[in-house]
Amino acid sequence: MIVYQCEDSPEGIFTAIYNAYEEKRNHNDTVISLTDELFLFAEYIKVPTDAEKAVKVMRTLERRFGEEDYLKVCFALTSEEKDKAQAVYQTVVHGLAGNVGRGHLFDNLACDAVHRAFALGRRASRECHQMQEFLRFQELEGNILYAKIGPENNILTFLMPHFADRFPIENFMIFDDNRGLLALHPAGRPWYLVRDSESPELAEKFGLSDKEREYQELFRYFCRKIAIKERKNLELQRNMLPLRFRDNMAEFEKFS
Amino acid sequence: MEFLATGQEMSLQEKLGILTDAAKYDVACTSSGVERKGNGNSIGNCIKSGICHSFSSDGRCISLLKILFTNECIYDCKYCQNRCSNDVPRATFTPEEVCTLTMEFYRRNYIEGLFLSSGIVKNPTFTMELIYRTIWLLRNQYRFNGYIHVKAIPGADGELIRHMGYLVDRMSVNLELPTAEGLKNLAPNKHRKNILTPMRQIQNEIHSNRNDLVIYRNAPRFVGGGQATQMIIGATPENDYQILNVAESLYRKFELKRVFYSAFVNVNEDAGLPSPPGGPPLLREHRLYQADWLLRFYGFRAEELLDETRPFFNVMLDPKEDWAVRHLEYFPVEINRAPYEELLRIPGVGVKSAKRIVAARRSANLAFADLKKLGVVMKRAVYFITCNGRMMYPIKLEEDYIVRNLTTDKDRIRFGSDGMTYKQMSLFDDGNFTMPVNPQEKLQTAIGQL
Repeated sequence: MIVYQCEDSPEGIFTAIYNAYEEKRNHNDTVISLTDELFLFAEYIKVPTDAEKAVKVMRTLERRFGEEDYLKVCFALTSEEKDKAQAVYQTVVHGLAGNVGRGHLFDNLACDAVHRAFALGRRASRECHQMQEFLRFQELEGNILYAKIGPENNILTFLMPHFADRFPIENFMIFDDNRGLLALHPAGRPWYLVRDSESPELAEKFGLSDKEREYQELFRYFCRKIAIKERKNLELQRNMLPLRFRDNMAEFEKFS
Repeated sequence: MEFLATGQEMSLQEKLGILTDAAKYDVACTSSGVERKGNGNSIGNCIKSGICHSFSSDGRCISLLKILFTNECIYDCKYCQNRCSNDVPRATFTPEEVCTLTMEFYRRNYIEGLFLSSGIVKNPTFTMELIYRTIWLLRNQYRFNGYIHVKAIPGADGELIRHMGYLVDRMSVNLELPTAEGLKNLAPNKHRKNILTPMRQIQNEIHSNRNDLVIYRNAPRFVGGGQATQMIIGATPENDYQILNVAESLYRKFELKRVFYSAFVNVNEDAGLPSPPGGPPLLREHRLYQADWLLRFYGFRAEELLDETRPFFNVMLDPKEDWAVRHLEYFPVEINRAPYEELLRIPGVGVKSAKRIVAARRSANLAFADLKKLGVVMKRAVYFITCNGRMMYPIKLEEDYIVRNLTTDKDRIRFGSDGMTYKQMSLFDDGNFTMPVNPQEKLQTAIGQL
């Protein structure tokens, strides 16, 4: 058995997939691993991330399976689960060998690897959508909008295009608290990422704007008033809006 | 002018409170149906699927800033808390206040847009003008590019409604009550004809606008998100069959995007109104929504689900189960062969899972274990399907037997006895709850530390 050990990033995993094909491995007996996990009777190969190879794989995936399925693969790779690399690898093998055609990569859900990759991707894209819903900006001094999120999956890069499209004339930043990633969008210009950022201090340094507390209070009041008390249903509310999101939402009590 | 003077003394928060309170019984809080990219120099875009930004303590979504422009009203509808004979605090926004609130909430990602309705001041046309002025200001001066839903006020000038349609994404005219007779009893100032006229007008405008769009790609869109309506359930004695028929003809003849049902909440203690003992008829509302989905996405017709002899929905079974147990001649359905339309009619199979079945069976022969992965709700579907000619358990295809199993937990077939289990799908799981073995544990096993 061959075990490719690669970096935990989409580029790293795509490079490993490239190498597996380049070296003509038997795909049923090859594993892409993101950890130092040990297998019996295995040969280990370290894969250095190679941007050129990764881009080739990305292009192939997009061309063969279409934009939509390629996006699903990318979402699956934002997951924190360690078996994502293997699931995506086997899905790609399945798709290329079966010549499934554009938009049909995830058709065969009866196959375990395909189903796993599909489930991971769905989970991440669902979280991305939830973040579009539940993310809350606060206005800092100097007309800057700032939001803190704590997503399970590494979806900040998928979230930014949405907000950049929505608020092109705003200065805003989104901080991923779980990963120390900061995304910045200066008004009228493209957005970019900063790694290992310490932005919570940044937010405190700026301080909230005068109007901010007032609008938070107004919205909190609005949310209270819009509820019909004869229909009270906290369980339904919790199903639709899980508790883990509420720490960063202005209308809930846990918000700081 | 008196109310304007008091309006100025009131703080923005008080006004927001009063006018939200007054708008909360309106149900149409959706932001779906329009895909519009940002234009680079103003705020806002629209997403096809719609975005719910929060959920209130009744579990309903908060997608739009749902407010009335004013709760002053010259009408006296018995079910409405804003009727002129009620002594409630009254307030009126200024257009600027509505715009500022919308913009500031939108920037903070609290809301997806604005839902503006209003009580009737002076006359319908005057009220519509007030709303129009506000929306115009929001679109042109505040340059808001997000989602806007307004109520078209029955009886308002047609020209005004036409202009309004080019500024907003969705318009709705409230049907209020399912039948003309009910309307006459409870809303003496409103007439069925007045309600249907603007509805028809909006439908016609949407049609002609669609033709314009074919020729001029950048022509302004008229009510891009389509029109909706809502009716109150349980205030008048109509049965479910009548209501469903009304909804069906609205979809067919008026091409509505959505019909909303609102369980009647008795706020006025009026002698002409029923006071339901168990609170608002929420289950009935739920069943109507289920049936509504069957009409729109599953190819059912109203007369298939109900008829004159059984005019109400079954309390214990959902409408699809109910239909299935009465039509056992169609079952069991073979998963690996049945056409899409037949798959859709199986209880426990939805639009998505039916599509996945059709896609998946091209490359593999599906077994029961695979169906769970595809999202089929096995505890409902198991009575109605076969895989490769076999049912999962020996099941009698008999109405009583299946109904008993679907409705009681006690007599249920024991799932899991052969290693197969079912579980309820919820929005936030992948159907994968078992903890994976992590590498550290594997290592420990390998070197014998466990």
